[in-house]
Amino acid sequence: MMFGNPLTLLTLGPIVAGFAFMLLAWATPPSKRAEVSQYIRILIFAFALLLFALSTLMFLESYSGISWTQIGLNNYVYDNCANADVAIEAGGCSLVNGFGVSWHVGVDGLSFPMVWLTTLLIPVSMLVEWDAKKGPQFHSLILMMEGALIGVFVSLDLFVFYTFWELTLIPMFFLILLWGGDDRKYAAQKFFIYTFTASVLMLLGILVMYYYTHVPVWEGNMTGRAFDVTLMASSSSTLGTSFLGGFGMQKAVFLLLLVGFAAKMPSVPVHTWLPDAHVQAPTAGSMLLAGVMLKMGAYGFIRLAVGLLPAALVHFQVLIVILGMVSLVYGAIVCLGQTNLKRMVAYSSVSHMGLVFLGIATMQPLGIAGAIFMMLAHGIISPHLFAVCGAFKHHYHTLEIGSMRGIAKHSPWLSGHMMTAWMGSLGLPLMAGFVAEVAIMIAFWMAFGWWVILPALTLIITAAYYLWSMQRTIFEGGEDGELPESLHGEDPVDITWHENAGMFVLAALAVILGIMPFIFFDMISAFSGEFVTEVILDALNGVKP
Amino acid sequence: MSALTLISDPNTAMALLPEFTLVVGVVLMIVVPNLGNGTFRLPIPNTNIRLPYFFGGERFSFNSNPRVPGIISVTTLLFSTSLALWSQMSTPIADSNVWCITTAGEAFASCEGMVDASLLQIDGFSRLLEIVFYGALMLCGVAMWSRMPATPRFMIHAQVLAGRREDERIQKLLDNRRQVDFHLMLLMVALGMSVVALASDLFVMFIGLELASLSLYVLVAFMKENEEAPEAGMKYFILGSVASAVGLYGISLLYLWNGNLQISDLASSWQAMETIDPLALTGIAFLLVTIGFKVSAAPFHLAAPDAYTGASSPVAGVLSTASKAMGFVVLLRVLVTITMPESGEAFWVPIMGLLAAVTMTWGNFGALGSENPKRMLAYSSVAHAGYLLAAVTALGLNVAREGDHVVSELIVAAMLFHLTVLVLFKLGSFLVFSMLESEGKGSKLEDLYGLAKREPLLATALFVFMLALAGVPPLSGFLSKLLLVSGIVDATVHSTMNFDDGIIATLKSIHWVFYLALLVFLNSALSLFYYLRVGWVMFFEEPPTKKRLVYAPFLRITIMLALVGTLAFGIGPLADHLLTLVSNAAETFFA
Repeated sequence: MMFGNPLTLLTLGPIVAGFAFMLLAWATPPSKRAEVSQYIRILIFAFALLLFALSTLMFLESYSGISWTQIGLNNYVYDNCANADVAIEAGGCSLVNGFGVSWHVGVDGLSFPMVWLTTLLIPVSMLVEWDAKKGPQFHSLILMMEGALIGVFVSLDLFVFYTFWELTLIPMFFLILLWGGDDRKYAAQKFFIYTFTASVLMLLGILVMYYYTHVPVWEGNMTGRAFDVTLMASSSSTLGTSFLGGFGMQKAVFLLLLVGFAAKMPSVPVHTWLPDAHVQAPTAGSMLLAGVMLKMGAYGFIRLAVGLLPAALVHFQVLIVILGMVSLVYGAIVCLGQTNLKRMVAYSSVSHMGLVFLGIATMQPLGIAGAIFMMLAHGIISPHLFAVCGAFKHHYHTLEIGSMRGIAKHSPWLSGHMMTAWMGSLGLPLMAGFVAEVAIMIAFWMAFGWWVILPALTLIITAAYYLWSMQRTIFEGGEDGELPESLHGEDPVDITWHENAGMFVLAALAVILGIMPFIFFDMISAFSGEFVTEVILDALNGVKP
Repeated sequence: MSALTLISDPNTAMALLPEFTLVVGVVLMIVVPNLGNGTFRLPIPNTNIRLPYFFGGERFSFNSNPRVPGIISVTTLLFSTSLALWSQMSTPIADSNVWCITTAGEAFASCEGMVDASLLQIDGFSRLLEIVFYGALMLCGVAMWSRMPATPRFMIHAQVLAGRREDERIQKLLDNRRQVDFHLMLLMVALGMSVVALASDLFVMFIGLELASLSLYVLVAFMKENEEAPEAGMKYFILGSVASAVGLYGISLLYLWNGNLQISDLASSWQAMETIDPLALTGIAFLLVTIGFKVSAAPFHLAAPDAYTGASSPVAGVLSTASKAMGFVVLLRVLVTITMPESGEAFWVPIMGLLAAVTMTWGNFGALGSENPKRMLAYSSVAHAGYLLAAVTALGLNVAREGDHVVSELIVAAMLFHLTVLVLFKLGSFLVFSMLESEGKGSKLEDLYGLAKREPLLATALFVFMLALAGVPPLSGFLSKLLLVSGIVDATVHSTMNFDDGIIATLKSIHWVFYLALLVFLNSALSLFYYLRVGWVMFFEEPPTKKRLVYAPFLRITIMLALVGTLAFGIGPLADHLLTLVSNAAETFFA
């Protein structure tokens, strides 16, 4: 029951395989290391592709066999406890009886796009950094990271969720520390301390919710409580505002969770780790950091903070709007002033995640669907952005915007990818980002009326900084452009075939999802519609009659 | 009690099998290293008939080996642990495994209605603690195998300086004398501690306490080649004996009050009191000083950092695990069993709450400021005592005789679980330090620099131990803290409470003991900084040398086993087994 589940395989498989490959690389005698590492790298890549194929198969199967609108709230696809002999509250899927931990995994319209995105980005980021130093170790760390990331999205038990949440830090920490730039120690430390401290506050919130669960029928459970999120969700929806003993406690827990998730997303007052971490991280690390790790915050916010404490969201709606708006505007304005390409892209992530907050705060089905689609679109486009930055660093040895002009002449492929990625991120129609932005804007208008002008105008700043940086780096500069000094007179080269292949996948997906958003938008909007009617409307009616 | 009955009564013999094994071990430890080819001449004139009597003379090669005492003590402790574990596992149902040993040496399957006073009481609770004690001491014994040179290093040094080659026969005579001393003391500690766990009479308990303490004083001061050790031992001895004297005075006051030191009798007298007798109260308060010293609770913890730093690491590990567990047994027996109120909360709840808050905060700030990793672990041990005292405070709220003991059992089980898994990761980290110490290092944070490059496995193990100490899920350290906090929350917050009136009013309406749980949480978050610092310097600083540490295969295996246990008792089926074990033990404590 526990291991016959594809999600379990997706979670534990990469972690075990990553460890195995790491050991294999470590145990190879130095004389054969160069030869063996080639094979190990191919094996790891093949394994990552296999996992991607598995998640795509799941996607196709669930698409044909399951109607996402029928799943309903608090029901999950590929739920390993749905058909268990014993109910969850009686310890049907228990991992540790003593204090009510179960191995409960499942996906719905919120988490499935993220799982699929993770399995996609892992092989792509491996492709982009195919030639990393100490390749086998590097790639097996990425593989371990895949397991932890997927674990965060699929686990429905908060103990397991929190464990995976912290587990994602470790590979990322080492990726930054061992393969990062010059200032990597500082960046890795800051990244770790920031996110760890925030998640400790989140743990406090989780524990408070844990203390309010009650599972008297669970044999051998010493505390009489359980970490299962479905149990919490059903008691939250039946108890309404008296969940957690009352509205006062709900607000306190909501704020605790908000701090934990906002630091991960990141939202403005707690975002300062992100630019440092991104600038120092290796390309593949940045891609995963921006592509998936930031989404963990948004995912957790929707699943736990909003899903379990909707009344508190209604209470703090203005706070969330302000947080989102400040992130959006501040991130965009700071981008304008950046001279480092990667730092600019990092701040643009802050700006885009602000849009996710705005979408959630609208409390409209379309707004939440837009926010989730934004997570997916940003998860495809921002790795593309970072891959381009990495290519600049790799081939031109600099990220300073001002140091080069007219690169398009020398590196047409790189410039092409830069244009695609930059355009996708500024919200060009027919690309995935546009769909999400439009959905959020419409919902924002429906919820707040003409206030929509504020975020809409910010999109102009977004366009400005993207176009301006692109114009300076790949255009301008006369006939031959202006090569950066860091090349030391060498001939500029274009990106390699594997970088090109990885980036091409991302570019193609951004366009495909822009033209045919329904591929994912159907399941997302089915989820968000259900979510709003079942969770948020009740809270709205309960608090503001 | 007649010694003959003690052995001849089959029930007693069976019930005390682990302790008898220890006694056999002690005897072997004295006899085996003294065997030799000594003979004596028959007192018949004009003849020279010599009979071998195997004592004295020149020793055989097998028993002059420096390894022998260690092998004897570890084997003995292994046997005792297995026997205790077996008796615990073979009868998991709580009350069928109770034995009361009377002053006449007879064993009864129930402590009710005996003619003679009961001296020792064996139940799930005391058995589990015995397992903890023996286990910790066994790990210490294994660590000492590779630690102790045959003669103190400075003596060899002095001999070389004096230009004197060592006489081979003297060498043979000295060979394992030191080891014998050490391991004999180790077995005495085990015996003393198990007497404390089993005692059902305060005086017997005190004797056990002193037996263990006196042996521990010697062990702390044992490493003479380290200049700090005798000083640490002296400090620990002086403060410890003052604390014991105060406690003994407390016990005498209790005797004056009750005329009897049976714990059950004291409990019923306490219950019968209309108002609290000042004599009894003073007695309990004085006894608390001894306990406070043993568990290293602030403000009685001041000797602990010095003792831990000066003692060799395995001994420091015993101080922070087994010795502390012993202190908590006494604490539970005295505070909970004797002064259990009829209803409502116990009188000592405010004192214990204050003590807990001060202890954990003081310990954490002390650890934050210490540059010596062993000192840091000593302060962290103080902090852990604070967490346990917070649980004891919550126990005081709920321990009333009336009503069910579900919450109290949860708290006691959590404490037992914490004390058990502490042996794995606290002692485990001391074992890693012990490997560093055998090359004369380990007293500065710099000594840990780049350990990961020299010994990747050991560094990883130490890092995991640190994470477990900090309480990071899914390690067993998190589980134990979660259970402790659960116990406190259960004792203070009830699901019927209403928190509708806003945050401030909500926070005001909760019992103050709840904030101890919050303090435990905040302190754990704070402690992450100094625990992670150890990991940081191990992985990211440059090592002073590339040399590997001492070989010590058994010690390495032991550390790896502790690592596996730290992980396995945190999540998965093994955690469940241990939880069942401790909750059964907690049940028998209240039975």
